[in-house]
Amino acid sequence: MREAGEPALGAATGERLLITGIAGGQGRLIARRVGDLFEVAGVDRLPWEGHPRYIRVHVLDLRRRKLEDIFRTERPTAVVHLAFVRHFGADPQVRHEVNVVGTKHLLEYCATYGVRRLVVLSSAYVYGALPENSHYMTEDAPLNVSRTYPEVRDLAEVDTLCSAFLWRYPEIKTAILRPVNTLGHYVHSTVGRYLKLDYVPTILGFDPMMQFIHEDDVAEAVALALEAGARGVFNVTGPGAVPLGVAIRESGGTPVPIPEPIARIVFSVLFRLGLHPFPSGAIDFAKYACTVDGRRFRAATGFVPLFTLRDIFASAQQ
Amino acid sequence: MCPADLKTTTTRLMDWMKAVPAIADLATEIDERVRRLPTKLNEYGFDPWGFHPAVVPRLLLGAALLYRYWFRVQTHGIERLPAGRMLVVANHAGQVPIDGMMITTAMILEAEPPRIVRAMADYWVPTIPFVNVMMARMGSVVGTRENCVDLLEAEEAVIAFPEGTRGISKLFKERYKLKEFGLGFMRLALETRAPLVPVAVIGSEEQAPAIANVRWLARLLRMPAFPVTLTWPHLGLVGLIPFPVKYHVYFGEPMYFDGHGNDEDEVIGRKVEQARERIQAMIDAGLDERRQRGSIAGIFF
Repeated sequence: MREAGEPALGAATGERLLITGIAGGQGRLIARRVGDLFEVAGVDRLPWEGHPRYIRVHVLDLRRRKLEDIFRTERPTAVVHLAFVRHFGADPQVRHEVNVVGTKHLLEYCATYGVRRLVVLSSAYVYGALPENSHYMTEDAPLNVSRTYPEVRDLAEVDTLCSAFLWRYPEIKTAILRPVNTLGHYVHSTVGRYLKLDYVPTILGFDPMMQFIHEDDVAEAVALALEAGARGVFNVTGPGAVPLGVAIRESGGTPVPIPEPIARIVFSVLFRLGLHPFPSGAIDFAKYACTVDGRRFRAATGFVPLFTLRDIFASAQQ
Repeated sequence: MCPADLKTTTTRLMDWMKAVPAIADLATEIDERVRRLPTKLNEYGFDPWGFHPAVVPRLLLGAALLYRYWFRVQTHGIERLPAGRMLVVANHAGQVPIDGMMITTAMILEAEPPRIVRAMADYWVPTIPFVNVMMARMGSVVGTRENCVDLLEAEEAVIAFPEGTRGISKLFKERYKLKEFGLGFMRLALETRAPLVPVAVIGSEEQAPAIANVRWLARLLRMPAFPVTLTWPHLGLVGLIPFPVKYHVYFGEPMYFDGHGNDEDEVIGRKVEQARERIQAMIDAGLDERRQRGSIAGIFF
C-alpha cells in the first residue's frame, strides 16, 4: 500500500482513470486498488472525506452537464462507472434519471473525449429471479428482472445501454461486469443490509441458492478488467453458493419464514409507508435462484476470488 | 412451521422409527453410503446446485423402506454403471414417478461407488413451497438444457424419461409398450459425450393400473393427466397407495454414440430409435423372465 501523498505511478504511464461514484464503499476500494496503474480522479454526489491526496474528487451530480467539463479537464483514458442508485430511498424519478440519463451522458462523453477503456459495474440481478432459471446462467441469458421486479427496471436498462455502446464502439474496450451479491465492511449493498438484520424475513418453504463475492474481490475484478483491456459482458462470481438460510445464519441473523401471500401484502404496505427498504418485487429473490456462470470472466482475465464464503460472511457481520 | 421445526420433527420421527432394528440398520446403511457419494461439496456441505447429502438419509429413509419392503426391488446389472458422467434413460410408468424414486434409491444403496442420480424437474416444481427445497437438497434441478450440460460436465449422473408424461400416464392396456421418445436427451448426450445407460423398470405398470384418463378434468385441474385406476379416485386417498408389486430394475450396457448435439432431427432420431429399441428389448426380456415365475405370482413375488 502506498502512503497518501506519494506520487501516483499512473502519472508516469500517462493513463488517467475517472471513477464515477468514487465516494461509495466500492468506489473507494477500487480507487485504492488501481492507484498504481492510473492517475485517479473521481466524481460523486457526496464528498469523500479524507480521500488520499493523490486522488482528485469532484462533487457532482451525474445528471449535470458539468460532467462534460470534467471530461474536458481530466481527459481520462479510462472510466469506471459505478454511480448507480440501487436503494429505494430516493424518488423513483430521480433514481431513473441518475441511473439511465446519467449513464447515457457518460457514455456520450466517453465516445467524444477519447476514452479507451470503460468498465461498468452492473450486477447479476439483471437476469431476475425466476423459477425456470438455469443454475448457472451465462452472459447470454435474457435480462428478465423487470418481469417480476419493475422497480429495478432502470438497472437492466443501464446494462442494455452499455451493451449497445460496447457493440457500437469496437475501438473502446468496454467491459460490463455483473458481479453476484457483494458483501463486505465498506459496501452498502442491498443484500448486505438485508443480511445484517437480526431477524431476517424469508419466504416460507423456499430457500434458494445464492452466490456471494467479497467487495475486495470485486475491486480486484474491476482492476483486472482494466488491466487486461477486457471487452464484453462478464458475470463475476466469488467462491460459490449456499442456500439463503445458511447465508443468514452465517452472517449472524435468524431467518423468519413468512408465508408468501402475507409477505407480499405486508411488505408492499410497509414499503409504501417507507418502513421497509425493499419493494415486494424483491420477494422473488428470496424464492428463486439467480445464480450465474463466471467462467467467461475467469478465462478472459485470470481472475481468482481470494475470499472464501466463510470470510465473506464474517465480513458482513457488524 | 419453520424449516428448523420441520427438521426436528423429521429427526424425531426417524428416531422413533429406528426403534425397529431393521429400520435402524437401513438408516445406518444409507448413512454409510451417502458419505461415499463422489459429489464435490463446499465448506457448508452443498454442491453448486443445492444438493445437500447431509439431509439425504432423512429424506431417503421412506423411499428405502418402500424399496426393500414394499416393492422388494431387485436390480440387475448395476455393476455396469460407468464412472463419471452418464445419462440414465428409463421407461416411465405407473401414474406416480415411483420408478424414478426406485432407480435413485438403487443407485445409492446398490451401486459401487454409490451415485446420486440428478432428476430434471418440470418448470413449475420450483414454485411449490417446501417441495422445491426437498427436491433441490436431493440433487434435483430444473430441467433446462444448461443445467443438464453443466451437471454432465461436472461428471454427475442425470436421469431422463424420454417418454415424459406420455409414458407415466399411459393406460394399463398399453403397458410395457414404450411411447415415442423425445430427442432432447440424445442431443445432450452427444453434446457432452456422456454415455447413455439404458434402464428397464418392470413392475411400475402394475402398481396403479389405469383404466382411463379423464382429459377434461386434467385440463381443469391443470394436471398433466387425471388417471382413473382400479382404486383411484373412488377409494379416496387410500386409492393412491400403490399395489405391492415386485419391482425389477435392469441396468443395461452403457451406450456410446458419436455425432453432434446440433445434428438434424432425422440423424438424432435414428440414434434415439436405437436407444428406444434397446430399452424395449430389455423390457421384453424382463417380462419373459417374470412370466416364468407365473403370470400372476410373477407380478407380486
